[in-house]
Parts: sequence; structure tokens; C-alpha cells
Amino acid sequence: MKPLIIGVLNLRRVFRDRTNIFFVLLLPFLMVFMMGLMYGGGQPVLAVSSPSQAGLADRLVDALEEDERIDVLHMDEGEMRDLVEGGDVQAGLVIPDDYEDRIRDGERAELELVTRSDDLAAADVGIWVRSVVTRESSLLSTAQVTGSVRDDGFDERLENASETEVSGIEVEVTTSGDATFPEGLSSHSLAAPPLLLLYTFITALTTSLGIVQARRSGVLRRMYASPTSAGSIVLGEALGRFLIALTQALLILFGSALMFGVDWGDLPATSLVVTAFCLVSSGASLLLGSLARTEGGALAAAVGISLGAGALGGTMLPLESFDETMTTIAFLTPHAWGYDAFSELIRNQATLTDVLPHIGVLLGYAAVLLTLGVWRFRGAVTA
Amino acid sequence: MPILEVRGVSKRYGKNQAVDDVSFFIEEGETYGLLGPNGAGKSTTIGMITGILERDSGSITVDGIEHSVTNRKSKSLIGFVPQELALYHDLSARDNLRFFARLYGLSKSEARTKTEEVLETVGLSDRAGEAVSQFSGGMARRLNIGLGLLNSPRLLILDEPTVGVDPQSRNSILESVHTLTRGGVSVLYTTHYMEEAERLCDRVGIIEAGKIRAEGTQRELVSQVGEDDTVLITLDAPGERVLDVLRALEPIDEVSSEGTQVRLLTSNARDALPLILDTLTRAGAGIRSVEVQEPDLEAVFLSLTGKGLRE
Repeated sequence: MKPLIIGVLNLRRVFRDRTNIFFVLLLPFLMVFMMGLMYGGGQPVLAVSSPSQAGLADRLVDALEEDERIDVLHMDEGEMRDLVEGGDVQAGLVIPDDYEDRIRDGERAELELVTRSDDLAAADVGIWVRSVVTRESSLLSTAQVTGSVRDDGFDERLENASETEVSGIEVEVTTSGDATFPEGLSSHSLAAPPLLLLYTFITALTTSLGIVQARRSGVLRRMYASPTSAGSIVLGEALGRFLIALTQALLILFGSALMFGVDWGDLPATSLVVTAFCLVSSGASLLLGSLARTEGGALAAAVGISLGAGALGGTMLPLESFDETMTTIAFLTPHAWGYDAFSELIRNQATLTDVLPHIGVLLGYAAVLLTLGVWRFRGAVTA
Repeated sequence: MPILEVRGVSKRYGKNQAVDDVSFFIEEGETYGLLGPNGAGKSTTIGMITGILERDSGSITVDGIEHSVTNRKSKSLIGFVPQELALYHDLSARDNLRFFARLYGLSKSEARTKTEEVLETVGLSDRAGEAVSQFSGGMARRLNIGLGLLNSPRLLILDEPTVGVDPQSRNSILESVHTLTRGGVSVLYTTHYMEEAERLCDRVGIIEAGKIRAEGTQRELVSQVGEDDTVLITLDAPGERVLDVLRALEPIDEVSSEGTQVRLLTSNARDALPLILDTLTRAGAGIRSVEVQEPDLEAVFLSLTGKGLRE
């Protein structure tokens, strides 16, 4: 009972601090939202500047609008260039005023594709534009060439070419293995798991300050002077850290599911991964709180370790972007095991059996950290 | 039966013998002062009595129960007020009290009732819902003491509760302790302020370098070291004749002068003073002022250890 009283008090203290309401409740969701956008949460936009009269230019724009994954907006060239430069649209296409005349005269017409070199989404839009333009060029060339053997006009020949089905080479596309980022996976589903790991760990570790304060202020001595055993105090403080970590993890888990529609996959398996990672976090927090001499030292170490292990473990940049050596190093951190387990569960519909090795490794980390933390903390209580 | 009996208790940290064969007892309703300078071994002794520190040897009984770090029964009889403000500063006074009340084994409803009672006792009822971080130093000190009262202790241990406190708050704390002792609570009070020990304690143990050097009431301690009272008299013109007259008085042990001030040593100044003043008047010495200095615990401590309490 007393460990529970101590543990719940620790949890209450976290949420009494108004600063924590921002860092624990709001910031993680803001980050999930932001990271979701960074991973491509919005529809890419192609801004088109074209001559006002209908005709071949409109025909090209209609073809570009066929892909529902890309929004096509119409605007003048100046505005288009401003928006591309500001990153508000991913690409711009300039169709010159003499486009129609040059084509009808059998001359070469030049289109201008405007993109920013550092915009990854622009590459996708560019590929789409090039494929549409290539197809349109073929039809226009056909209409032009057949003029020498047919008496009807250019428009009729173009319509005829467009409607003609040509048996070409059939390309069948198949995939093998699991896609790294399966088709249809929401960008928030990519963002939420690493942020859950990052925030759960950093929230738990920063509460090590509470242990240092309790040690230095004499609260621990006062607790031990009451009829409360050292074991109950240690268990209570460890439980407190676990409850704080679990609360943070569950907030992100359920919050991202409700707000951003993240599907975390198999519930029992996800629950066990979350529980194991929270045990790791609480063990690390207990150990740090027992080792740090001052609150400042504890805070610096908590932030440094959390961000360092988080970055190394794939919570800031996807593990998939790491080279082989860095991937091997990454799996020295519990974060990478958590990341990999969530990736399996969310992207590949893995089951509990599939992530048992991950859970086992995380529990191993937890066992080591909790054992060291309990040993050091008990020493601090009874010293 | 004493409420607390400490027999031959010792504690060593590496090569440092922090507490060396310390023995004393506290009777029911008695206030016992453990007086000594910083580093004398007071806090280590308190640590063993509160059950925070293991002792190397000796025994401690609380109300006849053999006491140890693992004995929850004997611990439940003790209220502890540490030197530092051992409080959760981000929590309210009420939340602090309720939490520690639960650690003392009170049920939720008992904890609620006891909390309000203690808030009333320490005069914090009207600020009970405020975070301790908003409290003045004196208020936080009062709450610190209040936490020691949650279990209605048979023995209350106060470890230098007035360190770093302003004079007004110190007075308030001493009054609170006095009120508690009048209510029948036995108190073990450690301090290096001899005036606090003189004001509060029925008996005093003087500890230095981990050993109890002397023990008893203030008067007993003074008599143990044979200290005299001092009478300082300022005269218009103290001549050799006046000094000789004073030397001839039977209760006077020693006479000396410096300028216009005459210094007399006597075993009991209150009894000797009428005779001294009468003799000086008859001798025609013009008396400007008279001051009596009785030996205090500071003097006793100086005599026992060769150094002051705050050195």
C-alpha cells in the first residue's frame, strides 16, 4: 500500500507543475502533428501558369489533374514563383503563351518546371509532370505526323490519336517482402511511435530531479524515519517513475489514435512493448536520480541522455535512413528496439509472437537498469 | 520507565568515530537537550535514535521496545523534525501532511482529520492549500515541525529546528515546543544555541567529538565545573582601599579592577549582592552601575572542552 501511496504522489507532483502540462500533454501532440507534416502529411501542390484561352494548354492541364494525389492550382507566373520559393507549393509549371501556336505550326514548345532543390515532395511532382508531358508529346507528335497522310484537321487527328488504343508492352509490377513504408500508411503513423519513445524516456528521466530533490531536502530521510521500510520507499519511487512514463506513453498512444487516426496494430503486443519500454525508462530515471548530486546535474544528464539515445535510436531520423554501421550501433539503445517493434506492429501488422524478441531485449534493459537503480537508491535511503 | 534509553551507542564512518559510547535517557514528559557544536555527533546520534542510521554497537529502547532501523513499532512512537526543511515544496501544506500521515499508517479519513488538527496546532489552517514554495521561512519551519506531530508521538525529536531562522520565527518555534512539552510530549532537542537549551530543556547532555562530556540540569552542570558568578560594578573612583574592603568580605572569592570597573567572583551573586552594595556604600564609594553574570552553558562548555559552542 505504501509503495502505491508514494508512487501516486510522484505522479500527482508531475501534473501539479503547470510547465509539465505543456511538456507532457501538449508538446508531444504538437510534435506528432508537425512530424506528420514533415513526413508528407499534406497533398503536394502543382501551381500552373498557363495562357487564358482554352485549347492544347488546357488539355495538358486536364491530363496533369488526373492524379488525385496531386492538387493542381492555377495562378499567374509571378505568384507561382513566389509560392514555390516560399515552399507553399511543391512545384510550378509554366506553359508559355505561344504553346498552342508553336505546336500547331509543328515547332518545339518549351515548358518550364519550377522547383526547390531541397524539397523532397517536389521530386514526386516532377516525375508526374514529366510522365504526363511525355505522353502528351507523343499524342501531339502523332497528330502532327499523320497530317501528311490524312486530309482532316489537326484537332481531329489529335482526338483520333488519343482514342486509339495501341497494344504496347505490358509491365506487371510485383513486390516481395515488406515495404518499408507501405502504401496508404498515414504520415502520423510514421511520426507517432518514435515520438512516443522519445517523450516517454525524456519525461521519465527528467523526473529523476524529484529523487535528487527528495534526497537533498531530507524528505527521503523523513520518510525512512516513519514506519516505512526502505524497500517500500524504493519500490514507491520506482513505481512513481513507471506510472509517469506509462501515463506519458498512453497519452501519446491513445491521443495519436484519436486525433490523427494512428493504428498501433495488435493491442496486446503494443501494450507489452509500451510496458517494457516504460520499465526501461523508470529504471534509467531511478538510477540517474540516485547518481546525480545536484538537480542541475540531473537535468543536464536527463536531457543529454534522452536526446542522445533518442537520436541514436531512430526517434529523430528514421532508422531506415541509417547506414549499416549506424544501424548496428542504434540497436545498442532500447529506443531502436522499441522503434523496430512499433514498425513491425504498425506497418506490417505483426503479432505478439513477431515482437517477442524486441520485448525480451527491452525487458533485459529494464532488468539491468532497475537492478542498478534500486541498488543505488536503496543505498541513498539508508546511508 | 524512560521513554528513551540510549546505552553505549557508537557509530564510525571509516576512520572517523562519529559517536563514541554515548549513553543517556529521557523520562516521560521530559525535555532533553543535546548541546554541542557542529560536527560534535549530534545528528549522527539523532540518526540512530530516529532509526535512519544503523548503529555499530550499543542499544536504544523506545518506551521499552528495542529500537532499530527495521522496527516499525518503535518508529511509530517517534516524531522526527529534521534540521532541513524536509518538505515537498511544490505541494501544499495539506498535501504534505496527508502524505506523511499515510506513511505513519493512518487511514485516509484519519489522515484528513489529523492533518486539519496539526494545521491548527502550527497555525497554518488559513494557508493550508497553498504550495509550500509560497511560504515564508518561518511558516515552512512550522510546517516542518507539524509533520513531526502527525503520529501523536510519545517522543518528539527536533534536530536543530531553528538553524537559519529569523529571531521572530525562532521565538515562535521555541514557544511551540514549550506548548508541546506542557502537553506531556517528551522531547529530544539538539542545538548549538545554548540559550535555547537553557530556555527549553529540563536536562542537558553536552556532546563533543562524539562523546557525552557532561549531563544534568543547568545548575548541576554549572556546579560540576565549579564556575563562579561574576559581579561587575562601576564606581566613581575605585581606590585600593575599596578593593581591600571587598577582598575582606567572606563570600567574595576574587577581586580585580580595570579602570573604574571592579570585577568580583562569588559562588552565589544573588545572596552576596546586598552585602557587597552595603559595604561599598559604607565605604563611601560612588556606585554608577551593577551587573551580575551567572555562569551559563556556554561557560560550562568552554570549561569542559576548551572551546566555544560556535567555534
